[in-house]
Amino acid sequence: MKDKPIIELRDISKTFGDQQVLRGIDLDIYENEFLTLLGPSGCGKTTILRIIGGFEEPDSGKVLFNGINIAKLPPYKREVNTVFQKYALFPFLNVYDNVAFGLRLKGMTDEIIDKKVSQMLSMVGLSGYENRDVSRLSGGQQQRVAIARALINEPKVLLLDEPLGALDAKLRKDMQIELKKIQKEVGITFVFVTHDQEEALSMSDTIVVLNDGVIQQIGTPIDIYNEPEKRFVAEFIGESNIISGNMIQDCLVRFDDIDWECVDKGFRPNEEIEVVLRPEDMDVVPLDKAKLHGKIVSKVFMGVHYEYFVETKYRDYKVHTTENYQVGSEIGLTIDPYDIQVMHLS
Amino acid sequence: MRHGKISIGPKLYIALCFVFFYLPIAVTMFFSFNSSKSLTHFTGFSAQWYEKLIHDQNILAAVYVSISIAIFATIASTVLGTITAIGLSKSRRLLKEALLNINNVPIMNPDIVTAISLMILFTSAGLQRGYVTMLLAHIAFCTPFVITSVYPKVRSMDQNLADVAMDLGATPFQALTKVVVPLLRPGIFAGMLLAFTMSLDDFVVSYFVTGNGVANISILVYNMTKRINPTINALSTLLILAVVIVMVGMYIWPSVREKLRKKTRAGGRTLRRGRRGRKAFAAAGFCCMIAIAVIFASQFSAISGKQTLRVFNSGEYIDMDLVSQFEEEYNCEVVYETYDSNESMYTKLQSGSTYDILVPSDYMIERLISEEYLHQIEWNYIKNKDAIIPKLVEDNLYDPGSRYSVPYYWGNVGILYNKNIVDKKDLEAGWEVLRNTKYKGQVYMYDSERDSFMVALKALGYSMNTKDKGELQEAYEWLINQSETMDPVYVGDDVMDNMISGNKAMAVVYSGDAAYVINENEDMDYYVPEEGTNQWYDAMVITKYCRNTELAHQFINYFLNEDVAIQNTEYIGYDSAVKSVYEYFRDVEYKGNTGCAPASDNPRNEVFHQQEQKVKVYMSNLWTKVKSHQ
Repeated sequence: MKDKPIIELRDISKTFGDQQVLRGIDLDIYENEFLTLLGPSGCGKTTILRIIGGFEEPDSGKVLFNGINIAKLPPYKREVNTVFQKYALFPFLNVYDNVAFGLRLKGMTDEIIDKKVSQMLSMVGLSGYENRDVSRLSGGQQQRVAIARALINEPKVLLLDEPLGALDAKLRKDMQIELKKIQKEVGITFVFVTHDQEEALSMSDTIVVLNDGVIQQIGTPIDIYNEPEKRFVAEFIGESNIISGNMIQDCLVRFDDIDWECVDKGFRPNEEIEVVLRPEDMDVVPLDKAKLHGKIVSKVFMGVHYEYFVETKYRDYKVHTTENYQVGSEIGLTIDPYDIQVMHLS
Repeated sequence: MRHGKISIGPKLYIALCFVFFYLPIAVTMFFSFNSSKSLTHFTGFSAQWYEKLIHDQNILAAVYVSISIAIFATIASTVLGTITAIGLSKSRRLLKEALLNINNVPIMNPDIVTAISLMILFTSAGLQRGYVTMLLAHIAFCTPFVITSVYPKVRSMDQNLADVAMDLGATPFQALTKVVVPLLRPGIFAGMLLAFTMSLDDFVVSYFVTGNGVANISILVYNMTKRINPTINALSTLLILAVVIVMVGMYIWPSVREKLRKKTRAGGRTLRRGRRGRKAFAAAGFCCMIAIAVIFASQFSAISGKQTLRVFNSGEYIDMDLVSQFEEEYNCEVVYETYDSNESMYTKLQSGSTYDILVPSDYMIERLISEEYLHQIEWNYIKNKDAIIPKLVEDNLYDPGSRYSVPYYWGNVGILYNKNIVDKKDLEAGWEVLRNTKYKGQVYMYDSERDSFMVALKALGYSMNTKDKGELQEAYEWLINQSETMDPVYVGDDVMDNMISGNKAMAVVYSGDAAYVINENEDMDYYVPEEGTNQWYDAMVITKYCRNTELAHQFINYFLNEDVAIQNTEYIGYDSAVKSVYEYFRDVEYKGNTGCAPASDNPRNEVFHQQEQKVKVYMSNLWTKVKSHQ
């Protein structure tokens, strides 16, 4: 799948006023991939999208589309389409005319337009809504219209700018699945912008984590979650215990005065590092088999699991487990070597 | 129930509001069907004014000018204003605020300032005033209104939508026409309506920037007020009707469109037809506009072919049918324009407008001669010279020797009174009868500075051309005293209608107006006091800018032809300068009407002379005090 990049961003920088929003962004986007730009608000993710869409021109750097620099090409000449935040449907047109908008601009015959619009509407599950006023649709339906309107132009790349942001939690989940399905069906690249890490993890082939205009890490959802390379990524995605320690040697790390086996290599002897421990990777074991001893100081029921804070000699650990313990009880903790993620200090 | 009791007040209030809004319109419409000329006295039902309207070339031309200017100005200002509003929303904040404030200036500016500024601009740019200048002026004052009504819509518009359009393949221009304009439609529509009504309504700006005989409805009506007649009511009624039809149409249109849309939704094929239909409709509309423009252009090219004569006359002071006859006989084009007073004529001349022939009054002729504005009359061209009442030429006081002017109409000022109320003996007191407290509350004075002072000065036995401040002061005191003791009402040309209706017993009027009133109301009679009065003369003059003096002389001569003068006098109602016509009306047509031919040889009668600036200012100040004393 990852053979040939369709879009390449090369050393893109962008400043608004005196605020630098992008600093030297390098990114390859491949054919057919579902790539997510993930980061907190103001990190520059929407700006990257707008640069790809042609709505912003980068101050410096190149935007290559199939190898050709399109940084100065206006949006209407690019083979990409965008699903905008809050859908941005044309309020004065009905569903049919919204979806047909792009085709009419291309001057297609009415027969072809009719056929394509009904195809597209049936794909997004809105057959029979042709003559509906867009203002009388639910949020989810408006979303589908926006997607259909963008996809009907058969773009090579579809850009989605926080498209699910305005939906409620349940609808959001459904739409995530739906979007993924649509992407498989049309078989084109989706570039998806979100600040919701769960959304990113569940839908993406590739996640690009951004902070402060700089790419923090690019990887598959599993890589990003399990092997965060920077403290920001570890903190932003999922929950974590981040602990300072030293790398004694390959596959051996020390923190909390304890030596731990791990799977990480390639550090200098005794290099100061940080360790990421996911709360669900903290195993509660009988005291005699434990490497860490602690006392439960708080307990919150989270639905599937409980979240405990366990007081140990050096720090409180956040622990997720489905087992039920009483606050105040003494428990033992251990961590498997492959659950320990060692990061360079950033 | 409580509810019912409470709602009477508001209902009454609303009802009163509506009466207040619509009663004047209803009255106007009602009197358009009057069988007589009066605007206040209903004498019977008739459609004659509508008939007159259809046949009045002047009115039809004015309607055409008003409506075509309104349409073109609306289109142009809507396009300009919308583009500007969109541009503004994308400008930097400081620039935007500055421009918006600047945009408000023409809106807040008094019309008269806008009018004069535009007039000066056009004059200094050397543009010939007429249709084009009027259109440009209308575009100029309509555009700020469009900007003001479109701009808020631009601001509240989702800026993403234009991006969306471009994302879907629209060029910036397509994004503008297919997305931005539809989004702004309510604002654009409101701006359009505003522009259209502003343009259609406008009088002040149009009045100052027009020329070459181009007049819109308001200019025409304004110049007609001297002899206002129900044709105007008929015209107003038709305009109101048009507005009502448009309003009802706009109210019904959305639901009609909805129904049409539902029908077309039956299938994709009909949908397509609907779209084609819209395109065809737009194309048809465009063709109509082109057609209008072509017709309009051809109208003007027709003018340029023949020799032309530019005549500037007081409103309703010539029978236009005779002008048309003259045009035919002499194969020429008369560009005819009107003014409402000697003073406004003079202003227009000062602003650089040029004409061939003017028809000013005595004192104004004096002034124009002294300013060397006139071309000498070549009397050998005036074949009808001998038909003129000899003393008008020979004893000419405002133009000694009649070197610059040919008399047109003449008359004097006197008292129109109700024979049944005013005792003949009381009239022997002359102008003093206007201070006879027996008739308190029964007197109309004429709202004119010099004529009012003339009354007082003559009553006191002084010259009406006096420069003596003491005498003027006395006249002022006379007028103040009259104000206090008699409660006179100062009126303009509405005096005629009021006297026809017999609203008061006495009025200071011009003789020709008196003749007109006496014709309509037999109870009225006219009296010229022995102390003397204002003997006035209007005459035709040729300006030094005249391009075709031969034709100008022919025109002047034409109106001295006996049959022409008779028809013209019938229309105007004043005393003709043509001896036989003067006598015919005095002895036959208006026999017994004291308002006709009242001219006497009373040596105490005078002609107004041009006032010295000092005297003028002095009198003017006193006059303001008289008016504010009421």
